[in-house]
Amino acid sequence: MSSKNNSFSLSRRNFLKISAAVTATAGMGFGANMLNIKEVSAEESEKLANSLGNVEVKYTADVMCPSECGMEMWVKDGRIIKIYGNESCPFNDGACCAKGASGMQLVYSPDRNKYPLIREGERGEGKFRRATWEEAIDYIGKKLVDIKKTYGPESVIMDAGDVTDRDQYYRLFHAFGTPNCVEHGSICDTPRRHGPKLMLGGKRIEPDVMRPVLVRQPDGSLKKDYTYYSKLIIYVGWNPFVATRINYESRGTVGAKVENGCKVIVVDPAHTNTASQADQWLPIRPGTDGDLFAAMLRYILENDNQSNPFKKYIDWSFKDLCVGWDEFDAEFKSWWGKTDPINGKSYFSLEWAADRTGLSKEQIAEVAHEFGITKPAALVWGMQSPGHHFNGYPASIIGTALNIITGNIDVPGGAIDTELVKCDKGGDAKGSNFKKKKVKRAVEGIEVEGEVEHLHMDWYGDWPAAWDDVVGDYPRRFREGVTLNYGPLKGHKYPIKGFMIRTGNPVMTGGNTKDWIDALNAKDSSGNYKVELVVNIDTLYLETGMYADVILPEASYAERMSLSDVYPSHQVLWLRDRVINPLHESKCPTDIMNMLAKKLSDLGDTDFKASDFWDKYKSEEDFVNEMLAPAPGRNHAGEPVPYPHLPLGYKLQGTPDSLDAGRVTIDHEKKVVKGELVTVDWMRKNKGVAVWPMSWNRFKVFDKEAGKYVASKAVAKTNSKLFEFTFSGYEKYNKLISETSIIPRGLKEIGYDKYPNTFYWFETKWNPYTNMEYAKYKDEYPFQLICGRVHHAMTGTQMVPWLSETPVEGTWMPLNNSFKHKIIDMNAKGELEEVEKEFKTGTFCVGTIAINASDAKSLGLKTGDLAILENPLGAQEKGKVYVTEGMRPGTIKLGFGTGGRFSPGIGPTSKNKDYTPNHSGLVDPNAHSPIMGMPCYADMIIKVKKV
Amino acid sequence: MPEDSKLKKYGMVIDLRKCVGCMSCSVSCKMENGVSFGVFRSWVNMTEKGDYPTVKRYYQPRLCNHCENAPCVEVCPVKASYKREDGMVLLDKKKCIGCGYCVASCPYNARYMSKTQKVADKCTFCDHRVDNGGEPACVKNCMGKARFFGDLNDPNSKIAQLVSNNPVQVIKPGQGTKPQVFYIAADFNQQPK
Repeated sequence: MSSKNNSFSLSRRNFLKISAAVTATAGMGFGANMLNIKEVSAEESEKLANSLGNVEVKYTADVMCPSECGMEMWVKDGRIIKIYGNESCPFNDGACCAKGASGMQLVYSPDRNKYPLIREGERGEGKFRRATWEEAIDYIGKKLVDIKKTYGPESVIMDAGDVTDRDQYYRLFHAFGTPNCVEHGSICDTPRRHGPKLMLGGKRIEPDVMRPVLVRQPDGSLKKDYTYYSKLIIYVGWNPFVATRINYESRGTVGAKVENGCKVIVVDPAHTNTASQADQWLPIRPGTDGDLFAAMLRYILENDNQSNPFKKYIDWSFKDLCVGWDEFDAEFKSWWGKTDPINGKSYFSLEWAADRTGLSKEQIAEVAHEFGITKPAALVWGMQSPGHHFNGYPASIIGTALNIITGNIDVPGGAIDTELVKCDKGGDAKGSNFKKKKVKRAVEGIEVEGEVEHLHMDWYGDWPAAWDDVVGDYPRRFREGVTLNYGPLKGHKYPIKGFMIRTGNPVMTGGNTKDWIDALNAKDSSGNYKVELVVNIDTLYLETGMYADVILPEASYAERMSLSDVYPSHQVLWLRDRVINPLHESKCPTDIMNMLAKKLSDLGDTDFKASDFWDKYKSEEDFVNEMLAPAPGRNHAGEPVPYPHLPLGYKLQGTPDSLDAGRVTIDHEKKVVKGELVTVDWMRKNKGVAVWPMSWNRFKVFDKEAGKYVASKAVAKTNSKLFEFTFSGYEKYNKLISETSIIPRGLKEIGYDKYPNTFYWFETKWNPYTNMEYAKYKDEYPFQLICGRVHHAMTGTQMVPWLSETPVEGTWMPLNNSFKHKIIDMNAKGELEEVEKEFKTGTFCVGTIAINASDAKSLGLKTGDLAILENPLGAQEKGKVYVTEGMRPGTIKLGFGTGGRFSPGIGPTSKNKDYTPNHSGLVDPNAHSPIMGMPCYADMIIKVKKV
Repeated sequence: MPEDSKLKKYGMVIDLRKCVGCMSCSVSCKMENGVSFGVFRSWVNMTEKGDYPTVKRYYQPRLCNHCENAPCVEVCPVKASYKREDGMVLLDKKKCIGCGYCVASCPYNARYMSKTQKVADKCTFCDHRVDNGGEPACVKNCMGKARFFGDLNDPNSKIAQLVSNNPVQVIKPGQGTKPQVFYIAADFNQQPK
């Protein structure tokens, strides 16, 4: 085997260079005798900070990415001078990634939105004039009142972005009268969450590696526990070291590996950073993760032998906790008798899966065996496997089934549905009660009555199974409007006339870029924009902002207050405290909500009352206190029992210390234990973090009479409160179908007339290796296109120069042409200031095209060469290739939102738009996953041409 | 400097089994120490080795090795570079005349000439934090909990135990510089299985 050196060094002498071989002393084969390392005791940050003079330490939460880690920011003379992870927050345990640490370059970026802007040119030209807040709010208010009168409030979509503090905007627009308040979840990852949602009532299954956890000890005390129990973690299309949505999966994966001998397997077409620390990398064909899962399940069912300890895969006690297994099992097995037209093999057999996944039969059997036999284990799938494929639903359903039947759900070291165990928060602040308001609409001349909620464009329109406020295909809605198919307002039609987009950047990442631009630019016959009002509320000036009529500058994450709790293993909440006052003329969401509510009230909209808005929330703190009130809001469950002095199964509400001390009232009728409510003030006294105790086995409880575990019915949020292999979650949608005989568009597309009762299977799009419809493209378009999030360079952080010094996996590499740009950088005093900087060739990371070395060779491409990517729809993107051995042949990988960036607000990166590829430019604008309507980001094929 | 400091010998251990390649060390250092674009006190070399599918990406986080026999201290004509009794190799920027000898002498490329300050610059082990009871910023923020800092002379310290209980390596031991940054599982030069 030949040896290759393919290196990137960040050494100051030569940014892009082949690293010299490092001489090292002999001595390999480590691993034994490793200390079980415990954390350093928390340093006294205040004391340390004071060594720098008059420094205030603030505990807050990040939002440079949706991980929203607990942070510690040091402030001197009103400026942030240092950023670290908050050691009191178990989600990140004091860790802080490169992006988090670079936050000052975003907060103090010269490219921020500084004051309100009103459009002067055409949409997309980027011509705006500076406006006062009064002027901008007046403009928006008048337009909203006009749209409400002419088309109804439901004609306005409020998209509140991918951060947890969206409640103010939801409240505002629910009160306005539109149920169409959505967040980033609409366009990301929904098929991935579908299995857990259907079968557990949850959302995201993650490995039990968040450490420390606060655990009740046998002596009654509570202690931080750093012990790892995991023995096997399989990450499928999930790259936590780079996509870093779940902070603890960085330290937790390597921690479990080193300290507990946990085996880590990464299944991914690309050799990700996570794969680099795994014991095994399985380079699977894109879009076939569900095939692997199906083959694993068949293997386990066929080979399980309860009397052979080496084949005792299934923990049949799961049947005491579930409904519908027999139906699921029968339907799954019914496929074994059918042959797949693409390869003539029996569905879900090893031969079938080998043909489709490109892995060997032996590899598939081995991974199935290891997952079956190793306990505790977790099978975890991500955004780029089921998440972004047309058929991600069967994959996430089978994945959930595999975790359940092997007995790994919620055991120590197993798989945790984090959605079900995080805090309940938000409470009344979100304003969901406004959706219950009665409304009347005329349908074919007859007045009908319903509630605001019944106007929802998805639930009562084309996507009734859209969960979590999901709206997936809005460029089409902008063009075609909404027809309600179901519910009391059936037959009502309305156009989309207002689009409020707060953070997020759908023009670059919400589906096909051209499709979005066309929809936002579309005009009626009189030359007026069809979407009459586009408002962008954001700290940053991104591409979507260029298509806005009004831009409102929102305070950055360091300048506003809210809460975070992103997918922890148990109930923990941390405060996003205001670290500094809003910069420039920006305002916090609470103030923006109140200003708009007051304006609408002044303009005669009687839906807005002082008692619901500006009198009720006089400060951000008032709003956040209301959000905190329900916390932790989960039922008391699991082992070790979190509060031995409190009854199991009761909902807990109140601060950790009041629950622990028993300063509670217990309502036995409603089964609620209420302690002292969590407040901002309490959070501040506790380094910004509230941590309730961890427990495991929360879905079950030991029944002494029966002598076995039975379902606790305290955690699962399915209709039965059990694990469901028959999907009662679909019943209400099927009722809508049977009432109207209208089949939702997505179901029709896959040939179903109703939502299936149990296991189902259909093929993905644009995959010539699994779907006969696309087999004809195999020769002309020999590459499958995949896409991965580059944590350092998401759509809204590329104005941060330091993150262009951190190469990532071949998709974010220092392959720039030379250019000049004004950036914010450290001066001689170590303070940030604006400087004009020249970036030499090869010194600045840009979005690149990762390609397998053999493929590159056959195309005559070498690292740095320009290539054109073209899909069968005729769309093209251009970029520089990065040649790597760490890529499955026949696969091309791009970063999400890394290339083709044309907003000047993105800073230096906008100078590189002509030679960097935009992945969204190649996405099929008409492909939406059939159950929830999400764009199919990961289903595409291309050809590659050297320029 | 505290009185008992002469008893201390500061060093760092980087457990490469836990490095996740995130570069938080590189950027946290820039944030902490005001390091401008284009230069680094702390950085990560990444190397891909092997052929598909037996390929692996290796990380080598780097910083000043705070050598016991530091060539940069020896060559400094004005004694601006010096070694503290606790082992830290530091630089008095007021004395530095910007001759660049130290930059050239370092076998680890750990020093650079600061364009903004016109003097040599390098990692200080965050002495300003350490002297006040903290740990270097790169250790504090490390995502993989792969970096450990402490007193090698204290047998009860975590870092001393790591060094004594694990085979550790230093970079370029043949140079005789005696680096005080130790790597666990340093297999940068090994081929994958």
